[in-house]
Amino acid sequence: MASSISTKTSSTGGSSMHTAKPPPHHSNDAVLYNTTELSTWVDSLLTEFNQPASHFPSTLNLPYSINPDSVNAWTEPNTTSFYETQQIIEEDSSIRLVHVMMSCADSVQRGNLSLAGALIEELHILLSRVNSEFGFGKVAGYFIDALSRRVFKPLERSHGSAHENEILYHHFYEACPYLKFAHFTSNQAILEAFDGHDCVHVIDFNLMQGLQWPALIQALALRPNGPPILRLTGIGPPSLDGHDPLRETGLRLAHLARSVNVRFAFRGVAASRIDDVKSWMLQVDPKESVAVNCIMQLHKLLDDPSRIDNVLKLIHSLEPKIVTLVEQDTNHNQPEFSDRFREALYYYSTMFDSLEACKGPQKWLAEIHVQREICNVVCCIEMHETLANWKEMMDKNGFTPVYLGTNAYKQASMLLTVFSAQGGYSVDESEGCLKLGWHNRPLIAASAWRPNSKM
Amino acid sequence: MLSIIVSSLDKEKRPKFCINDHIDVLIEILKRLDGRSLGVAASVCRLWCSVTRNDSLWEHLCFRHVSPPPLSVRPIVVALGGYRKLYMVCLRPVLTRLGRRRVWTRHEVELALSLFCVDYYERLMVGGGVVKGGGGDVAPSSLMFLFKAVNV
Repeated sequence: MASSISTKTSSTGGSSMHTAKPPPHHSNDAVLYNTTELSTWVDSLLTEFNQPASHFPSTLNLPYSINPDSVNAWTEPNTTSFYETQQIIEEDSSIRLVHVMMSCADSVQRGNLSLAGALIEELHILLSRVNSEFGFGKVAGYFIDALSRRVFKPLERSHGSAHENEILYHHFYEACPYLKFAHFTSNQAILEAFDGHDCVHVIDFNLMQGLQWPALIQALALRPNGPPILRLTGIGPPSLDGHDPLRETGLRLAHLARSVNVRFAFRGVAASRIDDVKSWMLQVDPKESVAVNCIMQLHKLLDDPSRIDNVLKLIHSLEPKIVTLVEQDTNHNQPEFSDRFREALYYYSTMFDSLEACKGPQKWLAEIHVQREICNVVCCIEMHETLANWKEMMDKNGFTPVYLGTNAYKQASMLLTVFSAQGGYSVDESEGCLKLGWHNRPLIAASAWRPNSKM
Repeated sequence: MLSIIVSSLDKEKRPKFCINDHIDVLIEILKRLDGRSLGVAASVCRLWCSVTRNDSLWEHLCFRHVSPPPLSVRPIVVALGGYRKLYMVCLRPVLTRLGRRRVWTRHEVELALSLFCVDYYERLMVGGGVVKGGGGDVAPSSLMFLFKAVNV
């Protein structure tokens, strides 16, 4: 990570100043945060941190806020209860956690790894004072873990086996609606693009267990004029342990297609990096209509923009009717480490906030999936870009946007309401793209494209 | 609805009429019931249980408020497990979550059908019936979210 000696100058928007309120009297013994406020709270802490004279913050967008009076108040037994005291200590530690994490990120950026190391020790101590089972404590724990890797073991990559990654991905699919949203929205765009075509070919850049395709197969089966002949090419990592997950997935999808009378053919392409894929491997027939599906894949190439250009050039050469692109909507690609860290802290606090609202028997596996992502982002192995930047990249490479219609929007809204009846998730439409977010903070964005004849 | 049928079984007051002798009438009545009542009807007796398991009753229920679907829908739903299963596993929870118990549109049915298809596929993954020793690590639970208690 390039170290920069100059003091970082950054500006973050969205400062939230509220007048201090006295802590309310709580009669229950819940020593925990109102987690729906978590992401706004973290954001406000981070903006506080950036203000030059940021000493002990007394004006925060908290349901209750700390002011020096209340901290002293707990020494007077008549005015506060024991539980309020606990809350105050916990809040105090959490606030300090954020501040120390940012200082640590700052020292990493400046190359001062010994100071960073010392700060990590302090972070561990602070972490022990908060509840790290849920709420901010949990997110902080993951970030501290990631920071220690960054400082002490920067070259070690935390990669699970492909099989492990598939399992975690599947649990992430089940525990929260992000991937379902991605699949349903992309399928809708593909379905609309394939209207009237009888010979269709879908190229999926990350087959995983093929969870996206049953719904498309079923929708194609129900087309008014009958289903087309469907070919699916699934790209995935090569398997090192004997079984062939691509082939197994293909067989299952073929079984499903047969059950619903859709003529189907599958082909698996094993590639450890998606820019290793060449067009001859995909065997596109000129008579068929092609759709390319790219869910959470292109960001893996952000370490070198020419890699993205190469893949997009390849896709362009296939002359697809539609290209569906779904990516995280955040900037984890800033040159300055502390900016990246701050953005990641905000993004993943929001995501964990949304996960807290989901109930599920094995949610913890979904959390591990996100935890690994946090680690990769903090160790600068993985980068993400905002939707606006993705749009620019697509435009630069000769693609024009295809607006996702009202059907996609309605379906997404319905899906979210069904998924989480208590709300919190929100779908927004923005220039033909759909964004899924938690409490109005967009987390993932879906868009569709087609090649223009410019290139 | 059911009380009328029950009172018709009261042999002392009326001439002998047993609904069980007129299955076609029974089916006509059952066709007009909502899902919950169909479930209750299934517990009346063995005959009623087998009659209510008739998938066309559930097909009628699924599309009651929706314009008749094209003929191609039925074989697909049957292949994926049948209308009764579609209603119980997907359509009813979807409608409950959306707060639409009485009337619904084809959008809800389409969504339920997509979820039903994903569930079928996940069962293929677990069953390992298609692929020998296939990766059946995860029990089909992508529909679990439909059954969790709604946090009011």
